[in-house]
Amino acid sequence: MDPGSDGTTKLMASKYEKILLKNMEQPGYTGSLQDYEKAGGYQALRKVLGGIPPDEVIDIVKRSGLRGRGGAGFPTGVKWGFIPKDHPGPRFLCCNADESEPGTFKDRQLMERDPHQVLEGMIITCYAIRASLAYIYIRGEFRLAAKILERAIREARAAGYLGSRILGSELDVQIHVHAGAGAYICGEETALLESLEGKRGLPRFKPPFPATHGLYQKPTVVNNVETLANIPHIIMRGAEWYASIGSPPKSTGTRVFCLSGHVKRPGNYELPMGTTFRELIFEHGGGMRGEKPLKAFIPGGASAPFLTPDHLDVKMDFESVAMAGSMLGSGGVTVMEEGTSMVWAALRLMEFFYHESCGKCTPCREGSSWLVQILQRIWQGEGRMSDLDLLVDLCKNIEGRTVCAFGDAEVAPILSTLRYWRSEYEELIARAEASRSSKKELPVVA
Amino acid sequence: MSQETGQPTVTLTIDGMTITVPKDTLVIEAARQAGVMIPHFCYHPKLAPDANCRMCFVEIEKMPRLQTSCSTKVAEGMVVRTTSPTVQQARKSVLEFILANHPLDCPVCDQGGRCDLQDFSHEYTPPVSRFTELKRVFPKEYFSALIETQMNRCVQCLRCVRYCDQVMDVKALAPQGRGTLTEIKSFGHHELDCEFCGGCVQICPVGAITSRLSMYEFRPWMLKRAETICGYCGDGCEITLQTKENRLIEVNSTLGGGRNNADLCARGFFGYHASTHPDRLTTPLVRKDGHLVEVTWEEALETVAAQVGWVKDEYGPEAIGGLISARCTNEDLYLFQKFMRLVLGTNHLDSSVRYGYMNAIEAFRRVQGLHRWTVTFDDVVAADTLMLIGTNVTETNPITGLKIKEAVKQRGARLITLESLKPVRGTISNIATLATHHLELSPDQFGIGVLGLIKAVFEQGLVDSALEQEAPEYVGALRTKIEAITWDRLLAHSTLTPSMFHAAVRTFEQGARSIVVVGQGVLRSPGGYATMVNIHDVLLLLGRLDRPGCGIAALAEENNEQGAIEMGAVPDLLPGALPVSDPEARRAVAASWGQEPPRTPGLTMMEMIERAKTGHLKALFVVGENPLGSLPPSAGVAEALDRVELLVCQELFLTETAQRAHVVLPACSYAEKDGTCINTEGHTQAVRKAIEPLGESRPDWEIFSALSVLLDSPMEYETAKDLTKEIRNMIPASRVLGPAPLPPRPDREVLRRYILGGYRDDLDGRLTPPPVTKTTGTMTLSFAQSLFHSGKFSTKAKGLLKIQSAGVANLNPQDAERLGVRTGDRIEIRNEGGSAITPVRAWERVPEGVVVFPEHFDQDLRQVMSVTVDPRTGVPYCKLARVSVEKV
Repeated sequence: MDPGSDGTTKLMASKYEKILLKNMEQPGYTGSLQDYEKAGGYQALRKVLGGIPPDEVIDIVKRSGLRGRGGAGFPTGVKWGFIPKDHPGPRFLCCNADESEPGTFKDRQLMERDPHQVLEGMIITCYAIRASLAYIYIRGEFRLAAKILERAIREARAAGYLGSRILGSELDVQIHVHAGAGAYICGEETALLESLEGKRGLPRFKPPFPATHGLYQKPTVVNNVETLANIPHIIMRGAEWYASIGSPPKSTGTRVFCLSGHVKRPGNYELPMGTTFRELIFEHGGGMRGEKPLKAFIPGGASAPFLTPDHLDVKMDFESVAMAGSMLGSGGVTVMEEGTSMVWAALRLMEFFYHESCGKCTPCREGSSWLVQILQRIWQGEGRMSDLDLLVDLCKNIEGRTVCAFGDAEVAPILSTLRYWRSEYEELIARAEASRSSKKELPVVA
Repeated sequence: MSQETGQPTVTLTIDGMTITVPKDTLVIEAARQAGVMIPHFCYHPKLAPDANCRMCFVEIEKMPRLQTSCSTKVAEGMVVRTTSPTVQQARKSVLEFILANHPLDCPVCDQGGRCDLQDFSHEYTPPVSRFTELKRVFPKEYFSALIETQMNRCVQCLRCVRYCDQVMDVKALAPQGRGTLTEIKSFGHHELDCEFCGGCVQICPVGAITSRLSMYEFRPWMLKRAETICGYCGDGCEITLQTKENRLIEVNSTLGGGRNNADLCARGFFGYHASTHPDRLTTPLVRKDGHLVEVTWEEALETVAAQVGWVKDEYGPEAIGGLISARCTNEDLYLFQKFMRLVLGTNHLDSSVRYGYMNAIEAFRRVQGLHRWTVTFDDVVAADTLMLIGTNVTETNPITGLKIKEAVKQRGARLITLESLKPVRGTISNIATLATHHLELSPDQFGIGVLGLIKAVFEQGLVDSALEQEAPEYVGALRTKIEAITWDRLLAHSTLTPSMFHAAVRTFEQGARSIVVVGQGVLRSPGGYATMVNIHDVLLLLGRLDRPGCGIAALAEENNEQGAIEMGAVPDLLPGALPVSDPEARRAVAASWGQEPPRTPGLTMMEMIERAKTGHLKALFVVGENPLGSLPPSAGVAEALDRVELLVCQELFLTETAQRAHVVLPACSYAEKDGTCINTEGHTQAVRKAIEPLGESRPDWEIFSALSVLLDSPMEYETAKDLTKEIRNMIPASRVLGPAPLPPRPDREVLRRYILGGYRDDLDGRLTPPPVTKTTGTMTLSFAQSLFHSGKFSTKAKGLLKIQSAGVANLNPQDAERLGVRTGDRIEIRNEGGSAITPVRAWERVPEGVVVFPEHFDQDLRQVMSVTVDPRTGVPYCKLARVSVEKV
């Protein structure tokens, strides 16, 4: 198939068994309930209702080693286990479908092409954590996906997979789709909860964590779309099967990697954890788009520090990427070819973060506007050599000092590009200073 | 565990100091207790932590990264460092970030000199900033007539937004925009429309939100401060009057100070200019040839002394009467009654407690044998169940309202409201929206509502078994009487159902600490005294009257109504609220005065007016009171004043009454004198002079003292303190200033007397629902207090007039539609007494069939009021009228 720029999956043979993308890559698969059932859908739900107690479901997920696919990689079963068992009132499940990380587009496809897989995962999760109300907080721009999910919910309800007394059991589950209003921060789980409650989407400080004080201050699990889509498969095929895939023991299963940038075949690729970047980019993605060699890549969405060609053989699992100084994050791999300005790339991302900083806490709010102005100045040929130390210093004053992880994210592009390509900054500034010295200039007064 | 309180405690180390604090204390508070001030912007003890400013970082051993001390609770063995190099560096960097976009316009900022940002910058930042980029600039926007915002100065700590929501329950403010473009604006696209409590101004750590009333008028260090008590309502809030060159500049309040603990309302925060209004009387006036002309104090006082002396000689002391406002200090009130009793020899003296609060006091005295609340504000906050009856609490007693909000919102108390309010949210808070059970009543139905409560107590079988054993007859009599009244009859004119009453009393009974708060709706409506006694019955039946933390809190409207009672500024009570008829009490007073007070029973206000009308009362002293302006024409005050030979007014302004006086003596306001007053819960607090008396005005007590000398019975005092001393010696309960003594417990003996027979006196009358007066096509007109005014005094405050400057008749939108009127249209209100035309506003919180009109602007409408007088307490009821309403 030809590479497309719309983020759809390339139907190509793979040497690995696919789990999440398997159905949708079947010719003629529409994602309807009928198709999903034909492909073995909702069997996992029948299986748990047939006699796996909720706590055992949690245990299975724990043993499978499944970790959150939203970015932080927290063990899913452990998160479920934090829900207090004896809490009297309601508890909730929120599916985080606010996929807004630049370079990440897997959840959208999972929802649009195989919505029942996500729903089944959610229903089983509700069963496990004893919730009867679940929300899908979906990015506002995902109108199509929201429509498809709504339709799938109607289908599932009509078929008795949703609603009260599911499949004749005691289980009641309702799922509602709630569209966000266009703020990146609402992908942060506590900001998501605030927004879902009808408030301004600002992150809460933690602790307490959503597991005890979540939606409406009730115990709540917030899971990413891809995380939830994995659940039916783990139930059907067992924790041990799942744990054997990828690079056990810490990074198990497959991940849907979103490949973008200067490659021949951008798109979503489901590969076992631990596959190397080189394999993703050069084998599955068909390599660089033209003659120019690879210069840099972002391994896990815009919040992950840049990596270099030296890191191509790093395995795509949580630990290996962390060892390399970055993070696997949301699984969005953005590739840049030789000739791409790293100052420009950092500026581009910084502009995004500046635009999206929610403004709740001081370092992120004020820091992002300051950083973006310095980068703009450098890029426009107005930089000063002292700016580089200032950039690093400001980044250090933001990192680890904000309410949520946004602060760490916004400094990643700057710190990593300065680490590997400082000379590019210096060249730009040197040129600027040279041209300035020929003009008469008033000294900068601080 | 703490040995004293039995509370679990935690021991930790802060900067090398070991300190033990209660469990769940925040690190920032623990540090404060250890004497370590951790800089912060967003943290405030009144608000839930938000941890957004990142200024309060500390290092805690075994914790990764720096922690915000405002959101971290202490733990056993925790080791905290607040001044380590890392912490210092973090503070520096946070300030550098905040200052990046700050305009540094300190020279024109009213906060300059008392600004947290200024102080912390001074302490932690280098003199030069590394920020050389463009600062963010918000376009200047009009915010409101009283509150100014300068968003370029804002540090986005959201204290104002959180205060407005968490404490005030108003939610008028909201952050808008994202990132550095976050601005605090009013919620919705309109200028600020809220309670104007000034809380946002006070809680803003920088100069982002300031008061327009004092804009550019001062630098903080130029201001002189006087800690005093607000003169507007019975809550008795501590305020700091700040002055410059004998001008009132602004009002503040102190966290941890007073009964209000820094909270204020619009009247307290923006109402201070009433005292210095240009219309203030500054010289004595004497009527000559039909006109009031300016004279010297000597002439005025001699005129009064000569004429009152002549009246006394000619007609005897029984021909002299006096009225005083309960806005006066204890010292004024005390000396007034001493002057009347000792110098003039009469008990014909009354005060503005007669307008309603007296109903509560008489009921307290009859059933509980005391004249004070048995609960405090702290009990209100700690209550599990609260019942409000006819309070309109946000408007009449805003700070009591905040205590109730705190109990409900922050401590989970359950609230039952019998209020004439629809539970809808609006631009000002509505206590009914917080209720678990809301029984919506027309303003003339609170008595019926209380009967419903008694009926429900019996029907739910909630009668206290101990009471049933002790006083079976009392319980039986009540049961028989109440069973005879059908629900159909009780609820004929409301949409309420018996089950709503059942549910309400069940909930109320479930609380261990249950308090009933009673307001003007009960105390100032016909049958107010009877209803007040019936409320006692409800609590007696439920076994909640004589239990710690339980009781009845009746709200005083004026700031010193409680003082007026305790100083004896009513005809039948001596200082200490001892009965005049009690020879022992008279003897006790004589021990201090050197002479016994007269024993002839005194007249109440309405009786004095009647006696004046018939020509029996010849001389009247009116101190800060304005009966002509408060009572409707049908009360005959004008006729009464026309007949008296001598009318002496001590006043701030030339009121309707003062205009008819023979002598007007300029008195000074609370801002110009020292003294004490007692708030509605019985706390004696100090009033302190902030500015010198305006013109030649003098404190009321000084005037009485001067007159007494001229009348040859000198009562001489050097200062108000001397009077305070005399009062304290006479009244043991007022000896403590500051934190009040424990509230009294009901007198068991009096209680017993009541349940074993005392209840019988008026049982038939009080357990009978009033006859149905509803005629089709008419509405109930209720003269109610507005949040932005208090009596007529506040209508002289320019700040408050900016919020509300005229009377508007408020109607339910459905009624408005039926009448074919919209907000801004005009209606004619009419009954047999007369008619008047007024603008109208459709307001969702007003129940159907009711017209609410602010009593402060009732001049034109007073003729539709009629007066009935309570047979037992002499309280004149004139706040309700039946009227027909038409579009003009």
